[in-house]
Amino acid sequence: MVKIVINDVTYDVPKEFTVLQACEQVGIDIPTLCNDDRLVAHAACRMCVVEVEGMRNLMTACSLKVSDGMKVQTHSPKVVDARRYILDLLMSNHPNDCLTCEKSGECKLQDYCYEYGVEGGSFVGEKRDLPPDESNEFYDYDRNKCILCGRCVRVCEELQCTSALTIDHRGFGALADTPFRAGRAESTCVSCGNCVAVCPVGALLPKREKRIRSWDTKKVKTTCTYCGVGCQLELITHKGKVIGSKPVEQGEPNHGLLCVKGSYATDFINHEERLKTPLIRKNGVLEEASWDAAFNLIVSKIKETKEKYGPDSLGGFTSARCTNEDNYLFQKLFRAVIGTNNIDHCARL
Amino acid sequence: MRYVTLTINGEKAVVPANYTILQAAEEIGIEIPALCYDPDLEIVGACRLCLVEIEGNPKLHTSCSMAVTDGMVVHTESEKVVNARKMVLQLLLDNHPNDCLTCQKAGECLLQKYAYMYDVKFREHDGAYRPEYSDTSSPYILRDEAKCILCHKCVRICEQVADRQVLTFANRGFETRVAFDADMTIEESSCVSCNRCVTICPVGALLDKRLEGKTRIWDSEVTEFKCEACEYGCDFEVLSKNGKNVAVRAKSPGEGRPLCLKGRLTSEFLNLDNPETPYIKEDGKFVEASWEKALEIEGILDKLKKMDSKDAEQC
Repeated sequence: MVKIVINDVTYDVPKEFTVLQACEQVGIDIPTLCNDDRLVAHAACRMCVVEVEGMRNLMTACSLKVSDGMKVQTHSPKVVDARRYILDLLMSNHPNDCLTCEKSGECKLQDYCYEYGVEGGSFVGEKRDLPPDESNEFYDYDRNKCILCGRCVRVCEELQCTSALTIDHRGFGALADTPFRAGRAESTCVSCGNCVAVCPVGALLPKREKRIRSWDTKKVKTTCTYCGVGCQLELITHKGKVIGSKPVEQGEPNHGLLCVKGSYATDFINHEERLKTPLIRKNGVLEEASWDAAFNLIVSKIKETKEKYGPDSLGGFTSARCTNEDNYLFQKLFRAVIGTNNIDHCARL
Repeated sequence: MRYVTLTINGEKAVVPANYTILQAAEEIGIEIPALCYDPDLEIVGACRLCLVEIEGNPKLHTSCSMAVTDGMVVHTESEKVVNARKMVLQLLLDNHPNDCLTCQKAGECLLQKYAYMYDVKFREHDGAYRPEYSDTSSPYILRDEAKCILCHKCVRICEQVADRQVLTFANRGFETRVAFDADMTIEESSCVSCNRCVTICPVGALLDKRLEGKTRIWDSEVTEFKCEACEYGCDFEVLSKNGKNVAVRAKSPGEGRPLCLKGRLTSEFLNLDNPETPYIKEDGKFVEASWEKALEIEGILDKLKKMDSKDAEQC
């Protein structure tokens, strides 16, 4: 542990902490656009700058390790001015369209501008004017809204290990994009949507059938049903209907990551052809039936087949979309009740 | 009561004959956008956003003011209607500051909601804008005239209380604006800071000043409660951010009550983690006041303090 003085109050914090982590632990809110606890500190956005006694420049709290006796000011006039300046510069090269922007209400840039009273960009000059990349099936990339925090690039490289993205070009021309700016469809992108989940602004947004404001939605934490990993995700709902999903930011087992299915394959929930009752084939036609009728049919058929041809004539195939407990019971049913080892599971393939 | 049957967007609606089209649509779950309409206020048909198409009628009509008739066939989202609404919204945006980025009302603003719904964006033009004028004279109400869309709601809700009637329209045409009394500042005027106008403003033109800069709706946890200053119980909300109660605001007056400053301050005092200093108006000036004075409990407190322990026991 080391002693660190933050805003004139002394705290004990673990010595491997960064200043940002120390502030977080003691409940001081430091703004940051590019930081992500799961990624290597990038110090790109400069929003987390703090004043450290004895250091000439403002230091980025996300990359500065604490040391014994360090004296930090997190909201001194110099620091606040620097943050305002950064927001002003960002807004000077950002479309001012919170009125209709899909990210409005969840946008960190918008929230910090409100917090620091930056009403827009005051620097007049060139603005990035590039066409959007709408080639991916599941999400769009509005290049003009990118603030170059690099989170999408780093999550793709460090956590997803797909490395489909890079910061392309230098200086004013720099942009987080696929190689040669050929578009997502031409890249190695697997559409996992993890870049979309970490984008702090409206540059990366999921394609949605209906346009719905973030503040009109509700988020319900649940477990993904696609496979046995059990990723934690939030279903985004509007008027009782699921319109999308996003990973829960922290925690086991997925630590804020999802695959393409967890991120985007929620449409089936409201699909009109979704199977809601069992179907029994009668005279060659599938007809809706009650669960009781379906179970009775299954039981009678299994009994009949077992008596006639023996237990090994039966096989069970279960699903990764069931819980572990369901799958355990299913194999128990086949091994202990029916008496066969013919049991398999789709996730084992 | 006589009932009539009409068709709205192909759906049949059977409603009382004194209903307006807007009410009939609401009854069958069809939302018609409106900026100036409020069920508790006099109908003025000012914003033109609730326009609908009525078959056999060459003009579009404001559904908030048009009564239903038997056999009427109404379209609320036809191409003609949508184009008219887009035009109305575009004209409003052309004369509105583009600052949803930092506007306190963002997330609750009806203009923002409908502009998003009909995909109308700000555009650049070299025509005139409303003058940028903010009235910061009151510690309770912030008036940003540049954002006013002249929907008239504030004037109408203020008018409902006979002894207030502070707000009015001044001037005509493009120069039209909402004025406090004879065009005074909020401080100079007879405004009693009840915040009725703030509760009903659909945009960011009239804001609760003690909420400003603290939290916006999407960052807030909102808990509704009833004011405890008197027995009527007007509706209030407390807004919390990061587990702290940062602001209280009036939501709507209770039955037969107008909302009042005393109730608002009492609610702040009872609910906030760090209530701000109260101000009261004395001789047309807002002055800082002690909580005892603002809540009008000075006399009681004095008497309590004067009691010696013997008196207290007897009490």
